[in-house]
Amino acid sequence: MSKEWEPRIVAFFCTWCTYTAADLAGISRMTYAPNARIVRVMCSGRIDPQFVLKAFADGADGVLIGGCHPGDCHYQAGNYKALRRYTLLKRLITELGIEPERLRLEWISASEGDRVQKVMNEMAETIRKLGPLRLERPLSQPLPDTERGAVPLTVSGRGL
Amino acid sequence: MPEPTTNGAPKIGVYVCHCGVNIAAKVNVAEVVEFAKTLPFVTVAREYKFMCSDPGQELIQQDLREGRINRVVVASCSPLMHEATFRRATAEGGQNPFFFHMANIREHVSWVTADERHATEKAKALIAAAVRRVAFHEPLEKKRVPVHPHVLIVGGGIAGIEAALKIADAGKKVYLVEREPTIGGHMAQFDKCFPTLDCAACILTPKMTQVRVHPNIELLTYSEVESVEPYDLRNFKVKIRRKARYVNEDTCTGCGLCAEVCPVSVPSEFDEGLGMRKAIYRPFPQAVPNAFTISRRGTPPCQAACSIHQNAQGYITLIANGKFKEALDVILRDNPLPSICGRICTHPCTVNCTRGTVDEPLNIPGLKRFVTDLFPDYKLPQPKVNRSERVAIVGSGPAGLMCAYELRQRGYWPVIYEAQPVPGGMLSVGIPAFRLPRDVITKEINRLKELGIEIKTNTPVGKAITLEQLRQQYAAVFIGIGAHVERKLKIPGEDLPNVFGGIEFLRRVNLLEGPFKIGNRVLVIGGGNSAIDAARTALRCGAEEVTIVYRRTRAEMPADPKEIEAAEEEGVKMIFLAAPKTILGSKETGVTALECLKMKLGAPDASGRPAPEPIPGSEFVLPCDAIIVTIGQVPDIKSLGDKLGIETTQWGTFKVDEVTLETNIPGVFAGGDCVTGPDVVVNAMYAGKKAAISIDRYLNKLDMRVGRELEGPYRTWYDIDTSGIAVQKQAPMPSIELARRRTFSEVHTGYTQEQAIAEAKRCLDCGICCDCRLCSTVCEAKAINYEMKDEIQEIVVGSIILATGFKPFDARRIPRYGYGKYPNVYTALEVERMTNASGPTGGEIRLRDGRKPKAVGIIHCVGSRDRNYNSYCSRVCCLYSLKLAHLIKERTGAEVYNFYIDMRVPGKAYEEFYDRMLEEGIHFIRGRVAEVTDHAMTPDEEGKLVIRAEDTLIGVIRRIPVDMVVLAVGLEPQADADEVRRKFYISCGTGGFFLERHPKLAPVQTFADGIFIAGACQGPKDIQDTVAQAGAAAAEVLSLIDRGFVELEPNTAFIQEELCSGCKTCIPLCPFNAISFNSEKGIAVINEALCKGCGTCVAACPSGAAQQHLFTDEQIYHEIEGVLSYV
Repeated sequence: MSKEWEPRIVAFFCTWCTYTAADLAGISRMTYAPNARIVRVMCSGRIDPQFVLKAFADGADGVLIGGCHPGDCHYQAGNYKALRRYTLLKRLITELGIEPERLRLEWISASEGDRVQKVMNEMAETIRKLGPLRLERPLSQPLPDTERGAVPLTVSGRGL
Repeated sequence: MPEPTTNGAPKIGVYVCHCGVNIAAKVNVAEVVEFAKTLPFVTVAREYKFMCSDPGQELIQQDLREGRINRVVVASCSPLMHEATFRRATAEGGQNPFFFHMANIREHVSWVTADERHATEKAKALIAAAVRRVAFHEPLEKKRVPVHPHVLIVGGGIAGIEAALKIADAGKKVYLVEREPTIGGHMAQFDKCFPTLDCAACILTPKMTQVRVHPNIELLTYSEVESVEPYDLRNFKVKIRRKARYVNEDTCTGCGLCAEVCPVSVPSEFDEGLGMRKAIYRPFPQAVPNAFTISRRGTPPCQAACSIHQNAQGYITLIANGKFKEALDVILRDNPLPSICGRICTHPCTVNCTRGTVDEPLNIPGLKRFVTDLFPDYKLPQPKVNRSERVAIVGSGPAGLMCAYELRQRGYWPVIYEAQPVPGGMLSVGIPAFRLPRDVITKEINRLKELGIEIKTNTPVGKAITLEQLRQQYAAVFIGIGAHVERKLKIPGEDLPNVFGGIEFLRRVNLLEGPFKIGNRVLVIGGGNSAIDAARTALRCGAEEVTIVYRRTRAEMPADPKEIEAAEEEGVKMIFLAAPKTILGSKETGVTALECLKMKLGAPDASGRPAPEPIPGSEFVLPCDAIIVTIGQVPDIKSLGDKLGIETTQWGTFKVDEVTLETNIPGVFAGGDCVTGPDVVVNAMYAGKKAAISIDRYLNKLDMRVGRELEGPYRTWYDIDTSGIAVQKQAPMPSIELARRRTFSEVHTGYTQEQAIAEAKRCLDCGICCDCRLCSTVCEAKAINYEMKDEIQEIVVGSIILATGFKPFDARRIPRYGYGKYPNVYTALEVERMTNASGPTGGEIRLRDGRKPKAVGIIHCVGSRDRNYNSYCSRVCCLYSLKLAHLIKERTGAEVYNFYIDMRVPGKAYEEFYDRMLEEGIHFIRGRVAEVTDHAMTPDEEGKLVIRAEDTLIGVIRRIPVDMVVLAVGLEPQADADEVRRKFYISCGTGGFFLERHPKLAPVQTFADGIFIAGACQGPKDIQDTVAQAGAAAAEVLSLIDRGFVELEPNTAFIQEELCSGCKTCIPLCPFNAISFNSEKGIAVINEALCKGCGTCVAACPSGAAQQHLFTDEQIYHEIEGVLSYV
């Protein structure tokens, strides 16, 4: 396809808060940037760090994680687990040569449709400024043995 | 794309919905369908106007039945909307319903995307993802979980009442929880209801009664839901806090005698603060349950600060009400030495008195003294039990006396051993008669003797009898010998004649030889209360000049400031920042002078006060002929000749257990100054009481330590609204004139009755209930129980209805309307109470000064339809304003002006009601009011409130002078709505009201299964709509209960045994404790019956052994690939 580059964003939203908020944004006809594609999970706690790496490996320029506000998790504490993993991921992707701004975590409650609109627009704008994600080496290719350090940079997992 | 692993090659049908024009207007459906056909495994791709319609579903079913497809993707609206519909269609087509996935191209695409091209591309990506994902779907089965038939309804307003009755009438058990003492909610406060103008009470109270008598309703008033936890996968375990109402709901007959005698009046919440109620109250006469409740905020700061927890608020309130005898009874409950404490206690109570934050604290000891003076021959309460054990007490100071009294009250027979010729300890030895007349002490001690307490004076333990003998002859021993040995200055000349110790001097004056002249020029060294007492005593002994020498400044003096002041008044001089260096004189001449060093204040020392530092070379000489040294005392432990081996400290005091006051010798206790060093009288009494409690437990072989946290002083603080309290300082304590203060007559003469009442009325009722217990004396049903505690009741329910209502907008937030500033600006609810025949004015609409208003302005939309406050319309204000306009005109004949933005009167018979008001001659002015002011611009406006508003129909600014302004305040969510919704796992929408599952199709459901909402907690609504919603919620609940089960989404997690390494990472992550470890197999095991399907464990599993049905790694990976494969 020969068309102008558009930011490609994968958004992982929990079903109870952020996905519902995205529905509310729709019901309220709040127009926002079309770049993010939403993948629904039951809880932000389900978001395996590998999902994020997989998205970057498969060509995403940005990844957005949406969960319930602290204290609001439908499953009590899944969003806290998501926060922990997000904090680690931020460091990991930086190591991999991905700008940390390409990964964003947002708490958005079911009633915050306007927040979905705002975050979607901001995210698209951030990624647009950063430009396409250009990895020196595809994430799916293992490093040559000589470059393997203490931290294995390969992402192992089925489908990768 | 790898081959899916499930049975049979996937044949996927993609169905793209137009949703009328909802999708088709933005998404090029035809192009999307053509695209779908190119996707792997897709055998059919179709479009249809409404996929959710019967013919739409039929398309899917036909393709399934005819074998063209075995998996389904529908691209339409949100799965939260129609996933269930299409799963059903898939099932009816003969396939497992979970061979289906939905692409949300309406809410997430067509409705939120501006550009058609972008929308079409995004739709394609989502469909590509769904196709890839569905290929990896597997057949699943929904699990059925029984629904518990019991129902919890939270909130006893009309919504809760209505829903409770509906469900209970159907034969189901309902728990109705209401946090106020009565059900009825806001509706009970209303006078009339629009548009029919029928009486609110007439239609509400019969329903309230039905609730009370209904066999299927368990009514839990004055109760709050503490927590809601999952009981199993579908039902709830709810903990309910039953707040202590201190009145037994079942036995209280509602006679109201208690409220008649209650001395505490507070503004009535039910009457919106326009009337008063008592601390023991029932919000309104028709309350259900018809039981009284005591408002207790907790222990007042004064009582908490007092070491013996004397109930100051109790006797103060009774004094304010002229009930002096009752006040004395309250005092005697905690204190056997009140006439002593009323004179010399250092009153920590006043230090914490809340009134002190306004002007000055109350003179609490002064009030206590007033009561004890009024009844000089009062008696102490007699012990209710008698036992055989005798307890020996060494020392008859306040510690020993208190210990003896508390033991006697518990039935024991205390025997006090006193070394001095008179009992009283330091009270008799160290405190001069002009502060504490001797007969006061004698009377107090005689009262104790009358109870059977034996006091052996002139019987020094260690000489007349030994401690070992006491230990053998008595069941227990308490040592309270005080601190009577004086500390020395340790400077040259200290043993010269005419150098006295302070206690030595006072003992000789008070106890032994009476007043004797020690010199003309007397120096007193020290800055404590003993120094002041010694100085004032020396003056009364004929000294011409008495000077206190203190090494710090006045600010650091430990003596009571009032005592310092009194001493100065009497002529005592003070020299600060001076420390004695040498006492000059000889054996023959006696003392002639004191050489001092000047001091300066340095850094704070261990006591927190600045340490005095000597200035070298600053010596100066003060001529004198007597010196009194009062720099503290230590206990005379040696004199006891102890052979028991009681441990002591390096400071020469007894070493005791802090909680029990027991020494290292079992059964021997010690307390007071001999443990703490010199301290105030109330702390010694506290030690005596504490020891008595320990001794009682010791003799009953009970644990001496448990439950003693609240003994002794502590701090409490209540947020008391002190705004608007006029400054009125403490009533000065009357004293004898200065000229007479050279004798030992008591200086203070005590308050008169009028002074005492005025002083007592300054009390702010911090605890609300003052714990005077008058109510229990008149309660014939014996329903009052002050010891009642909050209780937690645990219930299991399958459904919950939240009907927690609203709170009115706080009109103070809009200062320009003058609420709280101009007395005659009222809120609608206040006027509602005034119009009510059982309200604070008996149904009369009156201004604050009692006049009838001649003109009334009603301002609509106060706090509603205003971006600064709430942008929503509160829906009820137009109509209740019309109703109030009608009632005001009917009752007062006043001209009534309505200031409105728009009249919003939709609803059956509402428009007609509006028409009727127009015909009645009520004025309507369209325009938002700019302000309410008392600034008159014409003579007509003098003394009136002027409402300034633009009349937008005629385009002029108008000023309407009125007598009364009514603010039609809007409806807001309850202040704790956010806390409540968290408790019940639901959400709040914009504006803060509880969020419904769908505004049209599921208005009383929430996103949490089994939890429903009804009434104004969901959004502002009138009684009609509230009742309708309550019915709807009841129907939802009944339908659930009658079906008996729910089907759960089969999205539970599971472990692939062969992959699990047994690392246990997943186990602590599960919030529901669903994962355990099978040590035999060395793997994790998920209990499916507990798993709620969040997938947190799956995300953490390092080996991929944990997976989640419907959200396997494989499915999500392919979904990610899908969204990125097409951009």
